[in-house]
Amino acid sequence: MIEFSSVEYRHPNGVLALRNIDLKIRKGEVLAIVGENGAGKTTLIKHTNGLLKPSKGKVTAFDMDTNDESVANLSRKIGIIFQNPDHQIFSESVENEVKFALKNFGFKEEAISERLEWALNFFDLERYRTTSPMLLSGGEKKRLCIASVLAWDPDVVVMDEPTVGQDFIQKERLIKIIQMLVSKGKTVVIVSHDIEFIWPLQPRVIVMCGGKIIADNKAGKIFQERELLNKARIVKPQLQELSEKIHGESSGAFSNIYDAKQWVISKLKSD
Amino acid sequence: MQWIAQGFIFRRITSPFHQLDPRVKLLVSIELFTLSLLVGSLPEVIIALSGIFAIASISKILRRISRTLTYTLFFAIIIFSINILVGYPLMDAFVIAVRFLAIVGSTSIFFLTTPPDELELVMKWFRLPRDIVFAFVTAVRFVPVLMMDALQIMDAQKSRGLELQKGNIFSRFRRFIPILIPLIVDAVLRSGDLAEAMEARAYGAVKKPTSLYQLEIGVWGKVATILSITLIVPLAYLFLFLM
Amino acid sequence: MECEYISTLHIERGMVPEERKSNNGLIISFEDRTYSYLNCKEPAIQNINLAISPGEIILIAGPSGCGKSTLLRSINGLIPHMYPGNSSGKVSIDGSSVDETSITEIAKKVGFVFQNPENQIFMFSVERDVAFGLENLGLYHEKIREQVDWAIQLLNIEKLVNRAPHELSDGQKQKVALAGVLAMKPRILILDEPTSLLDPFTALELVEIIKKINQNLGVTILIVEHRLDLLINAATRIICMSKGKILFDGEPRKVLTEKKLPRIGIGIPTITRLHRILNEEKPVFGKIPLSADELATNLKLILK
Repeated sequence: MIEFSSVEYRHPNGVLALRNIDLKIRKGEVLAIVGENGAGKTTLIKHTNGLLKPSKGKVTAFDMDTNDESVANLSRKIGIIFQNPDHQIFSESVENEVKFALKNFGFKEEAISERLEWALNFFDLERYRTTSPMLLSGGEKKRLCIASVLAWDPDVVVMDEPTVGQDFIQKERLIKIIQMLVSKGKTVVIVSHDIEFIWPLQPRVIVMCGGKIIADNKAGKIFQERELLNKARIVKPQLQELSEKIHGESSGAFSNIYDAKQWVISKLKSD
Repeated sequence: MQWIAQGFIFRRITSPFHQLDPRVKLLVSIELFTLSLLVGSLPEVIIALSGIFAIASISKILRRISRTLTYTLFFAIIIFSINILVGYPLMDAFVIAVRFLAIVGSTSIFFLTTPPDELELVMKWFRLPRDIVFAFVTAVRFVPVLMMDALQIMDAQKSRGLELQKGNIFSRFRRFIPILIPLIVDAVLRSGDLAEAMEARAYGAVKKPTSLYQLEIGVWGKVATILSITLIVPLAYLFLFLM
Repeated sequence: MECEYISTLHIERGMVPEERKSNNGLIISFEDRTYSYLNCKEPAIQNINLAISPGEIILIAGPSGCGKSTLLRSINGLIPHMYPGNSSGKVSIDGSSVDETSITEIAKKVGFVFQNPENQIFMFSVERDVAFGLENLGLYHEKIREQVDWAIQLLNIEKLVNRAPHELSDGQKQKVALAGVLAMKPRILILDEPTSLLDPFTALELVEIIKKINQNLGVTILIVEHRLDLLINAATRIICMSKGKILFDGEPRKVLTEKKLPRIGIGIPTITRLHRILNEEKPVFGKIPLSADELATNLKLILK
């Protein structure tokens, strides 16, 4: 669906931000991009909808070369939700904030109201319909931003650090939203350094370091490799630590606490 | 856009001229400025300009100053054409236009070689009120930050289908609203944070805050001061009365 | 009640702050404090009673909008001095009432590191910024130099002294912000979600620094953080807030046993959650673990 072939990106100030990126993002998968601050994660995702164009190499999305397409055309298929809600909220009401993109993309009047109803309902924003979005709490603003992107039903949803500044309840909601997207066959790309958040999703993981992709594998495999993680300055998920302490290094971990519980209980019974 | 943001960011360079006391740099800049004002003929213009370029090359800012002057050239050409139209002789119009370049060049020397924190010390030395000095410092400090914010906002809105390049001038202006509003909100939020952080670090505790650095002219500063004055005074005299 | 009586008595006698210090050895005390912002009917914090002794590391947790920030700002005097509102009850720092002490006076005792480091760096070089608070206090040049160098050494940022803010990474910015606050040698250090913008490695580094400051300098530390797992091992005490009230307050292990936590929006570490569902199945898994290590040791013992 989205393909990077030997992509290099150089900032206008001369810094090389991406080196030799080869990547295929497949339909229906959950892809997590991890790595320390400044590793090039955000620069990478900005290439998916053409916000940035590669200095060398090529990015194609839905058979379109991002060099030849407008950001608007690409965004219709690939919705990016940025980290800071305050960087996009501008309307006088929640309703108009959701409508903004729908109008930009030229949706018909009936389609707009239909999509709007769905988004407000699904994201539990119905009661704020006419409220100014600036008055919402941090968590509600985040939900509004997600709603305003999912409203146009993009095929790929990209989230940049969705958990930053979000409390436990919001994170639980985010997990539900991602699961809903997966069940609808959408592709989800998450940039995050919140390992405990992405672990239960058991995604495909890309590890970035110094503008390069240094590993690309299933979460279960990536988080076994201590050296790799140290290089990318990432910590292990707690369940991985736990299973290593019990079974020794480089063993597979429980994918969630319920699996772990099953294992412990069955072990307890067999003893 | 990103390129413009880069232009606002001060670059720390080390050169003999950069290391001088900021007051000396200001003096040299003012001297060159005065000289440029007094210019009236071609040889004088050449002397003034070569002075400016000499200092620029010592300070390793030749490329940056040339870039500034290239932009200024546009205005210089306008000045030149107006003077010709009004009926000045060709040579006089030329000198007046180049004098404008020299004036801009002499002022940029100070601003291109003096980091904002040294500028702050100079402002304090002139006994400007603390609040004004601090407002200036904060403004300069946050220009690049807000520029980066503007870029992020543009990215977010473009990703929601906003097309900035479309339509006529009026509709283009309207398209900037989704960028301007978050930018203003962002600036307001930042200033709120700043106000809190200032209070938490005892801003305004005493009437006359002290400073970690103290201005010190130093041996080279004295040498540069004396040298520049002994050069400029006779030159100015020459420009005014003899040439 | 006794505390209140003693301190009002001292104020009436007009004693100098030094002599008022003996506030039962407490460095921070809240006595039935309620505060609401102007134009806000609902109080942001309600009937807060809190006694904090010198040298504690306290983790404050709660969902967004629970009053954590208001609580912190009530300690360093931003509330009520910068945000006047309706308040009752009393907050004292080191025995003197926050309401009656100016913010600048409190700033000498209470250091505050805010969430976004970008918005608390004022100057163009790291060194100048670390000196900012000291310059404001009007200290002598030599004294400023001494304390700036001390703070810079403490945080190991000697290499950064001449850098400008835009030449720093987020983690470095947060260290610079911390150095600027520590240079004023506060007795209390408050951190409002200091790691939210940092990657986990850098966040852990910051936690280590905070621990060091607490152990070596005896600074009392209050820290707000969504990610409990990061600090659970460092904290001596956890305070959980919800809707402007303190619901739980005690040692980490004790607070983590509270069943209500997830319901009020406080996420507990994965490992603690696992322990909880295991104990629900069969209550044989011992005390609450604070790390994967602890749970593994426990499990090994039980499963052997």
